[in-house]
Amino acid sequence: MALISIDRKWIGQEFDVAEFKVSEKGILAFARACGETEPRFTDPSHPDFQAPPTFTSKYVSRRILPEAFPDLGARGFDAGKTVEVLGPLRPNDTLTARSKIADIYEKTGRSGPMIFIVHRMEFFNQDGQPVSIVDWRLVRQPDPE
Amino acid sequence: MQRRFQDIELGDELPEYAPDISLSAVRSFAEAVGVGRVGRFTDHEQARREGLPGAIVPGIMSQGILAAMIHKWAPGCQIRKLDTVFRAPIVVDSQARCRGVITETEPDASSVDIDLTIVNEAGETRVLGTATVRI
Repeated sequence: MALISIDRKWIGQEFDVAEFKVSEKGILAFARACGETEPRFTDPSHPDFQAPPTFTSKYVSRRILPEAFPDLGARGFDAGKTVEVLGPLRPNDTLTARSKIADIYEKTGRSGPMIFIVHRMEFFNQDGQPVSIVDWRLVRQPDPE
Repeated sequence: MQRRFQDIELGDELPEYAPDISLSAVRSFAEAVGVGRVGRFTDHEQARREGLPGAIVPGIMSQGILAAMIHKWAPGCQIRKLDTVFRAPIVVDSQARCRGVITETEPDASSVDIDLTIVNEAGETRVLGTATVRI
């Protein structure tokens, strides 16, 4: 089965902007469930209290893909995430997340052709400082003919 | 114990870490990230109805667990980048093991690269990762 060709015009186009509020409760719940034990992640009275570095992985934009993006079928899976940490996240920070498609590429695996779509969310704090970049690799598998 | 960059060598292994991936822990995580009602993470029976071997650990929880392992090894370190590949599901209530090995050292930046894996009870790699960490 031939791979579906995706127009590379989609790469780099910003398609969503969302806001998220960081809460102390949210940081604590995330940190504890991941097994963090360092006080800077688990004790709000710590002078450097902050969210664990992968905290922004939990955020999802309002749209996963741009409007009018080609329909690749329902089959697919989450292939992984990369988090780049640019600054600390503190309680009561307001994050603005800008979403775009960072890359699209194709591979063929045991289960057939796969299209990898890299959904990038760039997070900025209330001062406009970049704090995190999350690349989410979504895989879509074209429906069998 | 604070870890010093000069004491780290290429090929050093992080202490193996057994994360808590009990149903209770995974439900707590799922609640924390807003997927508490997603049965494939929080309900073995529902997950089996979806064709899975049981409830599975969310990929981003695996990622967070790997970060926690690094922090236990080097308290106070700064994880600058963490890339994780969700190769295959990890079943909730199983006995997973996290491993890490130093693959690069950058003295100018006091930084190391760590190859990371999470393996299941059969020793099969389920999650792969690479971290760049400032010590």
